[in-house]
Amino acid sequence: MTSIAATGLNVATPRAFVGPAARLSAPVRLNYPWKFSSVKRMVMSVKATSEGEIISDKVEKSIQEAKETCADDPVSGECVAAWDEVEELSAAASHARDKKKAGGSDPLEEYCSDNPETDECRTYDN
Amino acid sequence: MAVSTIYSTQALNSTHFLTSSPSSSSKQVFFYRRQTNRRFNTIITCAAQQTVVIGLAADSGCGKSTFMRRLTSVFGGAAEPPKGGNPDSNTLISDMTTVICLDDYHSLDRTGRKEKGVTALDPRANDFDLMYEQVKALKSGIAVEKPIYNHVTGLLDAPELIQPPKILVIEGLHPMFDERVRDLLDFSIYLDISNEVKFAWKIQRDMAERGHSLESIKASIEARKPDFDAFIDPQKQYADAVIEVLPTQLIPDDNEGKVLRVRLIMKEGVKYFSPVYLFDEGSTISWIPCGRKLTCSYPGIKFNYQPDSYFDNEASVVEMDGQFDRLDELIYVESHLSNLSTKFYGEVTQQMLKHADFPGSNNGTGLFQTIVGLKIRDLYEQLIANKANAPTEASKA
Repeated sequence: MTSIAATGLNVATPRAFVGPAARLSAPVRLNYPWKFSSVKRMVMSVKATSEGEIISDKVEKSIQEAKETCADDPVSGECVAAWDEVEELSAAASHARDKKKAGGSDPLEEYCSDNPETDECRTYDN
Repeated sequence: MAVSTIYSTQALNSTHFLTSSPSSSSKQVFFYRRQTNRRFNTIITCAAQQTVVIGLAADSGCGKSTFMRRLTSVFGGAAEPPKGGNPDSNTLISDMTTVICLDDYHSLDRTGRKEKGVTALDPRANDFDLMYEQVKALKSGIAVEKPIYNHVTGLLDAPELIQPPKILVIEGLHPMFDERVRDLLDFSIYLDISNEVKFAWKIQRDMAERGHSLESIKASIEARKPDFDAFIDPQKQYADAVIEVLPTQLIPDDNEGKVLRVRLIMKEGVKYFSPVYLFDEGSTISWIPCGRKLTCSYPGIKFNYQPDSYFDNEASVVEMDGQFDRLDELIYVESHLSNLSTKFYGEVTQQMLKHADFPGSNNGTGLFQTIVGLKIRDLYEQLIANKANAPTEASKA
């Protein structure tokens, strides 16, 4: 605790002091990892789900639009085109779900599928 | 197949080498002999890159990845999107095959279609001229810059370079719609899903999606039906093979759509394609493999084979109703089907097991998709062998 006070770092408001104290805050970060990395962690989790979220939002919006368009005139070209859009987006959403399930979660596996000859990825069966 | 015509001239009376033809950009050497007192046109087949083009038609964008993955796996290697390119590219590339999604030839993007009130199924939303030109170029061994239709944003992205592969598969809604493109296809397949099965599959796919309800799924299918029946469905009369998926007849009043009855309709008289048969070609057989040698769980398996006519064409139909539970059922069935074009005993079973996690791996959809994949491989090998013999024949003329 005394070392933090000595560096002049105010632990109570970490964000305000990230700039000038960046180098000095490295050992502090190790002791209190949750205090400094919390912002980064939030950003990363938003990025990971955003593609699936984007498509899901689009599907929802397109269904709303299709219902509205078709309420006016159920046989018009606009109504049919709106439902076609719903279909296209639903297909894209299901692909995104399958891709996520198929495993974009292990970066080593992803890397090795692209570069099987590198040292990290070589397998010896016998 | 690039065909080059060479006209002889009077002044030449010995063997000659000619380089580069006007019709393709790859370097080819031509060899011809002039006969005296005879003016003739020699048609010499260029023996370089010969691309075999396969067309696959089915509804709903390019989500036929199950079929594509089975097909490309028959040839070996995994099919992946092109590396380093647009991450939303619809193209799949493996060692021998390249799969192109015909949605890339949309002439109107999503906003354009909304403005005009036109669905993606409508031919007005697709650029068939570009499709024909590019497929023709790829077939002749010329690389093309193909546009990309981004399914997520609904916009047309910058084009990507596609190198001519050994086998080109064009999949989408309209591979057989345009007559010129149809003539370029060496083999064509149509995936015909019946309305009940389509409804059941779409429910399974979309109910997990926030915003969808049973009504919205139903409305979506019904709104697209008129365009589908007018533009997409008629293509099945041109297909060389049709895989028809229907609800099962083994379970009365089944509406879950889990057990399927799948029919493989194979046109007779297609070059390099010999239909699969049970017991003997041209006879009518009904076969239930379950019995003493094989015990199956409910509802079991039923096979049918018969000659038939499909849209005024002679065809042979193999039908499977039911599901596979175990490996030995699969191998037992495989050993009794004939003309599968397998290279070794059990190849169909092995391919099915390789992709046991794919949908349809336990019923006729997976089985017939795998068999069609093997038939295409057989067709490819025959075509290549034939083209290798053709130049020697032409030089004898």
